[in-house]
Amino acid sequence: MIEEPYRWVEAIANRREYVETQLAQGSPIAAVGYRDGILFLTVGRRSRQKIYEIYDRIAMGAIGHPGDIERLRLAVIELASTEGFTRSAADVSLRRLAHYSLSPVMKAAFEQVYGPPYLARLLFAEIGSSPKEDLFLRIDYDGSIAADGPTVQPRQRFAVLSGTKSSAELMEKFLQQNHVTDAALPEAVALAADAWSVGRMGLGESAIKELPESDAIRKHRNDQLAESGIEAAVLERDSRSAIRYRTLAEEELRSNLQR
Amino acid sequence: MDKPPLALDPNFSGASEDFPAVLRRKGLLQTAPEVTSAANGHSFVPTESTTILAFKFSGGVLVAGDRRATAGNTVVYDRADKVLEIDRHSIMAIAGVPATAWEMARVLEHSFQYFRRTQLQEMSVDGKVRALSKLLRDNFGFVMQGVGVVVPIFATYDANSKPEARLYFYDAMGAQFEVTDYAATGSGSPAVRGILYYENNWGPKKLQELNEDEAVAIALRALDTAAEADTATGGVDRSGKVFPLIKVVSHEGITTLSDEKVSGIFRQRVA
Repeated sequence: MIEEPYRWVEAIANRREYVETQLAQGSPIAAVGYRDGILFLTVGRRSRQKIYEIYDRIAMGAIGHPGDIERLRLAVIELASTEGFTRSAADVSLRRLAHYSLSPVMKAAFEQVYGPPYLARLLFAEIGSSPKEDLFLRIDYDGSIAADGPTVQPRQRFAVLSGTKSSAELMEKFLQQNHVTDAALPEAVALAADAWSVGRMGLGESAIKELPESDAIRKHRNDQLAESGIEAAVLERDSRSAIRYRTLAEEELRSNLQR
Repeated sequence: MDKPPLALDPNFSGASEDFPAVLRRKGLLQTAPEVTSAANGHSFVPTESTTILAFKFSGGVLVAGDRRATAGNTVVYDRADKVLEIDRHSIMAIAGVPATAWEMARVLEHSFQYFRRTQLQEMSVDGKVRALSKLLRDNFGFVMQGVGVVVPIFATYDANSKPEARLYFYDAMGAQFEVTDYAATGSGSPAVRGILYYENNWGPKKLQELNEDEAVAIALRALDTAAEADTATGGVDRSGKVFPLIKVVSHEGITTLSDEKVSGIFRQRVA
């Protein structure tokens, strides 16, 4: 019956609804450019890591089913590592990984309605030698790619990931209003934590529809931080080492947020 | 149904796979031939034409190597780097066939990173030492064919272990030996071992008590002595101003000593 075009479209629509429901509770992740690099930040259960090192200059944040995230993460690390080994670290490119490897595979899994789709939404960033060469890129469960490419719209040096579209849009709106590209790391941490709060308030039963006042954001943030773990990593532009990824310690993050 | 362009294997089990295994699965790493008796008539000649040395001093572990690369009795290159950084706290110094050794260093470097990235934790010192051992063992088929012998030294610094500075040397089959004070391999190593043994026992200070300048001076003297009798060791090329490559691994990571510093100490204390 799936062979009939209409049924296929219907099946895909059902599947989209199913996946969206599954992802709807995903805690947001914010990636923001700052003076010396790119910061990834999220708040949530300590037991589960959500921000990962992929290669020397590439980091990933993910929401979704842990099993699916893990399969995609290991696959992309393997691709990047073998490319970096056989050629050079400079030949590992996020654009190619996303467009030629991840996206086709995720699209195929999503549209083959007898097989399981990947219940995962991925956010990547790659640090370049100058801010102009940084790349933020988001891949959805159906393989669609949203990048801050120069052809789409004026470049913005941040990207977000959240359980629902409306939550992500609120986060983007918040960052468009508040993000400055040359902030120092502590300011970037505070901004990313606020953006996370905006995204979190946009999820669930009592989801907000408009951007809240900054006091409300700050209160929500502090309430959440009191009972949850905070996780963050940076890609540093001028690191002595070829490996630009560095995890930030929770104590360092918390001291940045005490104001 | 066609496979997607770059299939993600549904039975993917990357978690338990080490990086050399990934490379072999993808056909990117040559597998050494089986070791057969007498290796088809080739006689096994362990040629490791070079000198590398390492010893612990008060500031960590110093690793030094001469710069000469030879083929038979021809000098092919006088600026070879035989002291290689594997990660922020690990150095591998190589004596042996450069092609194999550099490839091995590359595999090792990627192995540690691949482990950290996939398993979300740093590989332990024992794990790293073992990884190099396994690479050597896997390479032994080539060694028995008369190509590809590598005899490395591995130095690392681990704040969580006691002692913090760790130093190992290997044989061509992959056996690892942890040493307390110093190690040297390569064709010039007998002279170097003599000097380091002497210094450690009857010198003004034990090796582990030396400061950095004193340690560098002893490393330079040892390499100069090795070069005196061994044609395959470059030592210090005074006219060409090519100095041995010296790196120090400590709590802060790896420092490569500048040519100015090495040449300064050479003029003061060696020449």
